[in-house]
Amino acid sequence: MTFRHYFTLVDTMARMALKADAARFFFGYLWWVLEPLLYVAVFYVVFEVVLGNKRPDFLVFLMCGKLTFIWFSKSVNQASRSIVASKGLIGKVDVPKSLFPLATIQEGLYKQASVFLLLFIVLWFKGYGVSPGWAWLIPVVLVNYLMIVGLSLFGAFLVCLAFDFSMLISLGMIFLLFTSGIFWDVRGLADPAMTEAVLVLNPVAFIIDAYRQVLMEGAAPDLAHLAAVAAGAAALVAAGVLLLRRTSRFLALKAITA
Amino acid sequence: MSRPAFAGAAAEPMLELQGVSHSYHARRANFERGLHRVLDDVSLRIHRGETLGILGRNGAGKTTLLRLLAGVLAPRAGTVWRRPGASCSLLTLGLGFQPQLSGRDNALLSAMLQGATRRQAQAFLGEIRDFSELGPSFEEPVATYSAGMRSRLGFSTAIMTRVDILLIDEVLSVGDAAFRKKARAVMEDRLTGDQTVVLVSHQEDQVAALCDTAAWIDGGRIRAHGAAGDVLGAYGAGATD
Repeated sequence: MTFRHYFTLVDTMARMALKADAARFFFGYLWWVLEPLLYVAVFYVVFEVVLGNKRPDFLVFLMCGKLTFIWFSKSVNQASRSIVASKGLIGKVDVPKSLFPLATIQEGLYKQASVFLLLFIVLWFKGYGVSPGWAWLIPVVLVNYLMIVGLSLFGAFLVCLAFDFSMLISLGMIFLLFTSGIFWDVRGLADPAMTEAVLVLNPVAFIIDAYRQVLMEGAAPDLAHLAAVAAGAAALVAAGVLLLRRTSRFLALKAITA
Repeated sequence: MSRPAFAGAAAEPMLELQGVSHSYHARRANFERGLHRVLDDVSLRIHRGETLGILGRNGAGKTTLLRLLAGVLAPRAGTVWRRPGASCSLLTLGLGFQPQLSGRDNALLSAMLQGATRRQAQAFLGEIRDFSELGPSFEEPVATYSAGMRSRLGFSTAIMTRVDILLIDEVLSVGDAAFRKKARAVMEDRLTGDQTVVLVSHQEDQVAALCDTAAWIDGGRIRAHGAAGDVLGAYGAGATD
C-alpha cells in the first residue's frame, strides 16, 4: 500500500464516519461543538458558580484547557478501541492495522477544527485579540497531535491484547483530567517547584499550559520543553507504527477471536 | 489422493499452501482457555483461472483456510504464498461491513481496501448498485439490510471490482432464487476468464456446477483433493458412512 493510498483511505474512512455519525443524531453536526460545550458548562457551574473561583477570566481559562483536553482524551479513548471495533473488516482484508486508529484520530481532528474555531470566537469576544504570537499555536497543535497518535497506536495494540486495557485507558484519561491543570492553574500553585514538577512529569499539563500561554498571554511556549515533548511523541509514533506493522496478523487473530 | 484434473494445471500458480497448520486459543470465560486445532498440515496449490470448491462440515476449518489464503491470518506452521501484486477479496456473510455506513460507502471502502484508488472505486459504484439490485437501499445504512441484501452487496462489490483472487465463504447460498441464479451465471462467466476463485459451500450441486477442482476438509486435514466430480463422489460416500 503506497503512502498516498494509505492517507486517502484514512481520510475517506474519517469522512464516512463523520457522515454516519451526523446522520445518527437529530442535531447532527451540531454535536461536534455541543458536546464539548456541555462539558465546559458543567465545569463552569461547579468551579465558578458553586465553588467560587477567584480568576476573573475563568471561562476562557477553562475553555482553553477543557476544549483541547477533550480532543486528546476522546481521540485516545476511541482510537484505542478502533482495531477491535473493526474486527469485521479485519477478518476480511489484510490491511495495515494503524489505519483504524489513524482514521479515528482524523475524524476527531475534523471535529476539533470547528471546536477551535468556536474557541477563537469566544476569545475574540472576551477581548483576547488575535496576535502574531498565535502563530505558536501551529507547533503546539502539531505536538498535541503527535501525542494523540503515539498513545493511540500503543493503546490500540494493548486493547487488542486484552480488552481490559480499554478500561485502564479511560481511567487514565480521567486521572489526567484531574492532574493536568484543566480547571486549576499549574502556574498558580503555592510551590514553584511543584509547578515545575507537574509540567515536567506530565506532558499533557505542559501542552494545556502552552495553549494558555499562546492564546491568553500571546507568549511563546517554553520552546526547549516543547521540542523535548515533540521528540518523545515522535519516537512513540515511530515505535507504534513499527509495532503494529510487526504484529499485524497477530492482531487480526486477536481481534477476530476477541 | 488424485491429482487435480484441472485443464489449466499448467497455468501459473496464484496461491499455495505448504504444510499449513493453524490453531488458536479461544477464550471461553474468564481465565479459561482452550486450544482449537483448526488445520493440520494442509498443502494446496491453486492456479490462475481455477475455481476450487472447498467441502466440509461446520467447524472443519474452511473459514480459517480462506482467512489464511487472504493473508488476514498467519499460519502457526507452514507457509502461505500468494502471487505478488495479485488483489484478493474475501467474501463472508454478515461481517466485513461498517453497519452505520451506507451500502455505497461500504462498497467504496471495500474496493479501496482491496487496493483500488478512490477514483477507480467510484467508477465501480454504478455497476455495483445495478448488479446488487439494492435500488434506493444502496444509500441507506447497511445496519438496516437483511442478510440477503448484505450478501448481495458483498458479492456485487467483490465481483464488480474484478479482483484477481476471489475467496467466497457460503455467500452464494443466500439471497433470493433470482439473485442466486444471476450470481451463478456471472460466476460461470468468470470461469472462462482470468479470475481465480475459491468457493466454500455446503451445497454439493453448487460445487458440481461451478468448480473445476475440489478439496474435502475433515478434522483440519485434506481428505480428498482433485477433479470436482471425484471429490464430490468421495464426499458423498463419506457423508453417508
